[in-house]
Amino acid sequence: MDVYVMGVAIHPAADAIGDLRLEEMAYRTARAALDNAGIERREIDHLTLAASDEVDARGISSMLLAAPSGGYLKDEMRVTDSGLTGLHLGAMRAAAGHLQLGLVVSSNQSSVVPLEDIARMRGEPFFLRPVGLNFAIADGLFAGAVANRYAISAAAVTERVLERLRSAARNSRAVARTLPQHDEIASSPCLAYPLRAGHRAPTTDGAVAMVLASGEWLRAHPGHRPLARIAGMAWGADRYQLDGERLAGLDIFRRGVEEVLARAGLDGVEALEVIELEAQNAWADVAFSQALGASARVSVSPSGGTWAQNPFFCTGLLNAAEAALQVAGQAGGHQVEGARRALAHGVSGFAQQTHGFVVMEGVAA
Amino acid sequence: MKAHNVAVIGVGQTEFRSRVDNQTYPELAQDAVARALIDANLQPEEIDAVVYSMAPTTFMGVADADKWAVDYIWARGKPFMRVHTGGATGGSALQAAHAHVASGQYGTVLVVGADRITETPDAQFVLNLIWDAFYEQDFALNTVTMTALATQRYMHKYGTTERQYANVVVRARRNALNNPSAHLKGAIDIDAVLASPRISWPYKLFDICPRSAGAAAVVITNETLARERCTRPAFITGTAGVSNTIFMGDRMGPHADTDFADFAELRQAARECYRQAGITDPMRELQTVEIYDPFSSFQFPQLESLGFCKPGTAQRLSDEGAFDMDGALPVNPSGGTLCTNPIGVTGLVRAAEAARQVMGRSAAMQVKNVHNALATAIGGSTQFFTVTMMSDEPRRAPAA
Repeated sequence: MDVYVMGVAIHPAADAIGDLRLEEMAYRTARAALDNAGIERREIDHLTLAASDEVDARGISSMLLAAPSGGYLKDEMRVTDSGLTGLHLGAMRAAAGHLQLGLVVSSNQSSVVPLEDIARMRGEPFFLRPVGLNFAIADGLFAGAVANRYAISAAAVTERVLERLRSAARNSRAVARTLPQHDEIASSPCLAYPLRAGHRAPTTDGAVAMVLASGEWLRAHPGHRPLARIAGMAWGADRYQLDGERLAGLDIFRRGVEEVLARAGLDGVEALEVIELEAQNAWADVAFSQALGASARVSVSPSGGTWAQNPFFCTGLLNAAEAALQVAGQAGGHQVEGARRALAHGVSGFAQQTHGFVVMEGVAA
Repeated sequence: MKAHNVAVIGVGQTEFRSRVDNQTYPELAQDAVARALIDANLQPEEIDAVVYSMAPTTFMGVADADKWAVDYIWARGKPFMRVHTGGATGGSALQAAHAHVASGQYGTVLVVGADRITETPDAQFVLNLIWDAFYEQDFALNTVTMTALATQRYMHKYGTTERQYANVVVRARRNALNNPSAHLKGAIDIDAVLASPRISWPYKLFDICPRSAGAAAVVITNETLARERCTRPAFITGTAGVSNTIFMGDRMGPHADTDFADFAELRQAARECYRQAGITDPMRELQTVEIYDPFSSFQFPQLESLGFCKPGTAQRLSDEGAFDMDGALPVNPSGGTLCTNPIGVTGLVRAAEAARQVMGRSAAMQVKNVHNALATAIGGSTQFFTVTMMSDEPRRAPAA
């Protein structure tokens, strides 16, 4: 694509941010992204918000978020699937010809809402809601399906949690956590067999913003240097039903990876140096990693992934920001040396009904 | 990189009414998609991506209703996203789909939405919850009382009367008689509107839209496919939106950038839309408009901000018949939002009706010789605005 990331900002993460309103988090993050890009708000012509009414506990969340996110008297639009979907739409808007320079903003303060109650309201009322479906049960069904299909063991899942936490310890943007013992994870409460509490990535509060420019704008403003080029994007939705084939097949995940690599002009995952996965639990992390089939040369979730921070709704956009920072050589303590191309992944829906991908490519000096 | 031209090649709407008890929510959405695909002469597998148009889910109480609908609308395996900008959702969803095609990311995109407002016993209670919990919800704000305040301000500025608003309702219900999908329709007179029960001054019951259930879908594609598939596609030649602050108090007074009585944001959006479409004299170059008017007071400030007449003059032109079907600018030949309001879909219906006018497929609602037709949508605390131009040729200008 002829679209560039000019600046990114990631709000300092915490398990709970109790001293700020969501609008203040969004404002600070949007402001920081503009500063990072060296761009004034008056210069942008559009804003793409990604926010969920249910997670934000508001009827129309963008009514409050649009202006502090930089959208005052700008062409603003919102998606509700995930933060990464906001990036998908924002990039297409910047490539559509009539808009040139925009913000993508997504924020999350899920510490103040009961996510599992929200999950129950997401279920259709005839079958899923009466059986009490929530995220834990959907993820448990997924874990059971991939465990059977790919012979994933609980021990491997436990080791994956520890591996991600060890990576997160090198990430200055991660929420500081104590490394648990194997037994603590293996004997943590069983939520929905085989999913245990210790297998899940803890959710955090946070926000992410990104400044995007069309190639046309960039060429007209040679004084600005982009962090990355968006080389390719792909996303897709699977069926709503949680049958075994849908859960274990990982069809949309595999197809999305294939499409995004093709759109980026890459032969396969080995053309990447970095992959940042959104896995809400370690069963998903192991299953996605196996489906990718990348060699050890490709660094998977060097940030620590969702165990570093997991601002639930905007984790996919966070991954895209991490990918952009990696190819810009600005990732910090978890920088992957020589990272030129990085794949970011995001999910939404029960047991990852949707998967989204973006390939960030470094821009030569 | 040059942006791709984009056109509407098919639209579908269900009938709109208070309740649809014989279909589930996803079946309702499927109904509209099937109609749009037939209209576009396409099979489901020829759709590359789907944009879902859905406003607050609280009316129906299923927060993931769009994802529930995935299988029913043949979206499995396809790129899928939901757009939500309150009442402006349908307008934004169409513009998001336009970005899919104009950017070259996808070739043919389906936009679909369904709503069932009456699933909740009190939509206006739900709509109170859209405001800030600390500062505004306790003021008993809902979309009726909010827009009544703006209407009072407009009446104060321009001397508009309740009778002039009633005339708008009479015209809308009359136009809707030609629309088989419309929810409310009929030959009523001004006295009937004035005699309807008072809701919130100056509104009476008939000044206010119904709560509708139904679905709509639109198929858009690039110029190459549009020329192959459709004898007269409706090209999307202008897309613009403007978002304002939630706080109405910030939109009045000497230091305000915009005045919430005038919908002045639309002036900014229309300027950009006209620039893209090469429109310099809207009253001369546009043949009809489908504007978002859930209340009788929404037409005058919109028509003025869209540049069809000067501020404060739309009411006189309305009285003189300028906006009637045989007037200088037929406004809402479909009956508009005053007659049908499935909130999350309404903006899409406006765009669909404007497209059908350009395509010559409006049947009894058809305005003669339509080359350009405009659609608007409005959402939030009258803070989100979209303007979309449909034209018979792809005369879209590049970025300024």
